[in-house]
Amino acid sequence: MTKKYDAIIIGAGVIGAPIAYELSKMGYKTLSVDKLADAGEGSTAGSCAIVRAHYSTADGVAMAYEGFKYWLDWENYLDHVKDEKGLARYMNTGSLLLKSQGHDWKKVKRNYDEIGVKYEELTIEKIKEMVPVADLHEFWPVRRPEDPTFYDEPSKMLEGAIFCPEGGYVNDPTLSAHNIMRAAEAKGAVFMFNAEVVDIRTKDGRVAGITLKDGSQIDAPIVVNVGGPHSFKVNQMAPGVWEGCNIKTKSLRHEVMYCPSPDGYDYLNDGYHMSDGDIGCYVRPEVGNTFLIGSEDPACDPKEWVDPDDFYAGKGGNGKDNVLSEAQWKAQCYRLGKRIPSLPVPNQPKGVVDLYDCSDDWIPVYDKSDLPGFYMAVGTSGNQYKNAPVVGRMMAELIDACEKGLDHDKKPFQYKFKYINRSTDVGFFSRKRQINRNSSFSVNG
Amino acid sequence: MQIFVCVKHVPDSAVHIHIIDNHHIDENIGFLINPYDEHAVTEAVRIRDAHPGSEVIAVCLGKQDAEKTLRSAMAMGADRGILIQSEKYHDSIETALALKTAIEHDGSPVLIFTGKESIDDQGMQTQFRMGALFDFPVATNVVRLEILSDKALVDTEFSGGVVNTYEMTLPCIIGAGRGLNTPKYPTFPDIMKSKKKPVQTLLFSDLKIQTPAARMEVVELIPHLQKRQPRALTGNAVETAQKILHILKHEAKVL
Repeated sequence: MTKKYDAIIIGAGVIGAPIAYELSKMGYKTLSVDKLADAGEGSTAGSCAIVRAHYSTADGVAMAYEGFKYWLDWENYLDHVKDEKGLARYMNTGSLLLKSQGHDWKKVKRNYDEIGVKYEELTIEKIKEMVPVADLHEFWPVRRPEDPTFYDEPSKMLEGAIFCPEGGYVNDPTLSAHNIMRAAEAKGAVFMFNAEVVDIRTKDGRVAGITLKDGSQIDAPIVVNVGGPHSFKVNQMAPGVWEGCNIKTKSLRHEVMYCPSPDGYDYLNDGYHMSDGDIGCYVRPEVGNTFLIGSEDPACDPKEWVDPDDFYAGKGGNGKDNVLSEAQWKAQCYRLGKRIPSLPVPNQPKGVVDLYDCSDDWIPVYDKSDLPGFYMAVGTSGNQYKNAPVVGRMMAELIDACEKGLDHDKKPFQYKFKYINRSTDVGFFSRKRQINRNSSFSVNG
Repeated sequence: MQIFVCVKHVPDSAVHIHIIDNHHIDENIGFLINPYDEHAVTEAVRIRDAHPGSEVIAVCLGKQDAEKTLRSAMAMGADRGILIQSEKYHDSIETALALKTAIEHDGSPVLIFTGKESIDDQGMQTQFRMGALFDFPVATNVVRLEILSDKALVDTEFSGGVVNTYEMTLPCIIGAGRGLNTPKYPTFPDIMKSKKKPVQTLLFSDLKIQTPAARMEVVELIPHLQKRQPRALTGNAVETAQKILHILKHEAKVL
């Protein structure tokens, strides 16, 4: 017998789980399916889980700032649900954005002023006090170690930084998705794992349900694609959906490194999240007193677009599979080694390689589709973890409004934030948009 | 005092290793300094710093790419490097001969370090073969080293954690174990400095080593496939801990 639900959510990561949670709270009978064994075990697990407000657009800043309120009030957000694995913790380290040519920080500052984000501007002396291990010379432009000019001596100093006392990271991204799953289950949501979707079925010009790899069919009048790096494959299964998107998604390989903190520096307890466009890196503390070193995707770095199934199966070879590459290890660690000259760089690369579900303009697509009943929260481009709970609420309201007759393409849904006094035009995230030239075209969003 | 450290350029243990034609691995992967050799370099540098006027020379037999491993050793503090370049595979008999010839050619060793083993071949023979060729004493899996005026005191660790202390005459050969120290990883300025340190390249063929009568060759490489059989343990923390203890004692038999 075919099972029936009000809505099926494909993907139980940190974006998919809150959509299930919010739809369940609104009375929808939801089923979440995921090809992996548990919530948050896909690309969510590889997320650096940074919570910061600086985005290149005011809407981006607004959504991130709204997101803080959820992370700061996590237990309340989860409606005090019990999770046998414990709760993820938001580590409010504060967030430093170095003023550099690598970031349009003046635009960020204007966005902060518009949204009302709390921040202060810091001098070089003040940064040095806060991060005594830092060398605050300007190293711009970002280069690769293969380039001989990479080793040129710097002469100028940076201008300063913008510091947000609110900002940091979530200590366990997988666990955060698991927490939301438990909260959703408490509201009636159902989760099914080791369940790979192979087809999106339609009936009378509308989505009718999904077919799983084992042949079983599950029906629902609403299907939401939150497939992460597999999102483009899921869109391609649904008739007309891929073709109807002006903004497409594909999966981008991405490496994150771990280096031990310099001797005598307690980065884990005394350190800040830092975005450093001058060297094309961002960093945050990680357990074991290590630096987690992410890349801001500088133009000189090659981009590896990969097939997600091959990638997770470890195929593709050196520099294309799910193993750190020596070249990128050196690039990211040496770049940070300029900023932190006492940073030890181990000989063996250590870190995480995972995929971004990357959109054409690095801004997500939160939208309906050309197939009635089929929705998508895709193209998160490595910069949406922090927004997950907000996206869950926004998507649920968007779906509900569309199902009640709203023509979102003609009259875009306006989402009223729960905490900050502002609405956002969800049309900003439309699949039909032209490429947003205001974007940073990087993980910065 | 001249301190030599023999280092090996080995595949990164974290990569996917593919066997080709039953004899070789696909070498389009990351290679780096053998992890035990990191302990050897760190200890050599510590001893050099305690004995003014000493120098640390890293020696490596390998392909041209192995210069990277010498650069790693120099970034960790070695003063210079010697690459014995060869595009061929060499067993521990030839390797020991090549290392000995290059070291003798360079100077007079007081201490020669190796790692206790290389993580690719895991032969654990090269240090002993060198010891025999030089007629030097050898200790391996060394976890503590003290240099006195004319002798070395070493602790070596055996399976089960048994530690023996030995007194060795100098010169001697030390196979570094993990317990010897915490490797001192280089900083970016160290890496910059290491780029300017000299590496002398010798061709293996130029060492004029007589082909030894005995040799070893790889007949076949067979991948060691391990099937994972994960099991979920349920119950509260106490019950789970008891189940883990039972598994470790009665199934894995490691306790």
